[in-house]
Amino acid sequence: MTKQQSLNEKWDVQLRKGTLELVILAALKERTLYGLELLKLLHSFETMKITEGTLYPLMDRLKRDELVNAFWRQEGDSRPRKYYQLTQQGLIKLEALTNRWRQSVEDIEHLIQNSNPQTTHPKGE
Amino acid sequence: MPDRELIHQYLKNLSKYLSRLDKSDAQEVIREIESHILDALEIQENSGRLSDPQEILDGFGEPRELANQYVEHLLKGTPPPIGFKAIQNVKKGATNTLYYSMGFLGFGISVLLITIGLAKLFMPGEIGVWSAAQGNSIMITFSEHVYPDSAELLGYWLSPIAIGLGVGIAQLTKSVLRVLKQSIQ
Repeated sequence: MTKQQSLNEKWDVQLRKGTLELVILAALKERTLYGLELLKLLHSFETMKITEGTLYPLMDRLKRDELVNAFWRQEGDSRPRKYYQLTQQGLIKLEALTNRWRQSVEDIEHLIQNSNPQTTHPKGE
Repeated sequence: MPDRELIHQYLKNLSKYLSRLDKSDAQEVIREIESHILDALEIQENSGRLSDPQEILDGFGEPRELANQYVEHLLKGTPPPIGFKAIQNVKKGATNTLYYSMGFLGFGISVLLITIGLAKLFMPGEIGVWSAAQGNSIMITFSEHVYPDSAELLGYWLSPIAIGLGVGIAQLTKSVLRVLKQSIQ
């Protein structure tokens, strides 16, 4: 693994710690998914490769917090699977976290864009 | 180890560590994880690869660590009100003391019983359970001067009984300590 790859991985881990709940709630917006489907969806993004051991206990907590509900369903000949979907409370939390996330991105972006020492004045001034 | 056996063993271990959850909650966790593993195994097989259950299990991590994440909220409980944090430390200290006292007491009794059981084999005349002459008390002695007119109970049966009890108490102590350790971590 190159130094850059290692740095990227550490960064992804740190960022995920704070954003995982938002990621899961966003992934379930208008979708009803079972664990493996949800995991595959997340793995399709470069920065969201979480493990099974992270996902399932988190889903259990979100369910306990009533942000998602879960139910077992069997389709055709397949084995029964536990599906998750957002609750009304989950949707409200998703909106609140989304706003906060956008605010953070905007703030960080502002700092990055205004790196010139002559523009040290705080945002909005 | 065959695939199914490996998975079965993993789920069995996980189930053991989830024993602090309600039975139905623990069963639901196991059922969901089993369903995931079997689905993932099928995907591996359908993609023409050699099935590798260990790779899937690695994603879940060690059963104990996985279970800890499920029972974390039980271990943490409700946080104390502001200003009451010191109580947590006292509670933790008490639990540590309890842990070591429990270990000392449990293993102490166990060692004593096993020693009595073994000693009976080598010094049968001096060690035994005796019923006093009046018949209203029982003594376990470790002496060559046994009370006069007392009748020995059990005889050589004392050996297996004492050793069995000793081993049983050691096992019980070990289980209790394991549970205590989880709550002081």
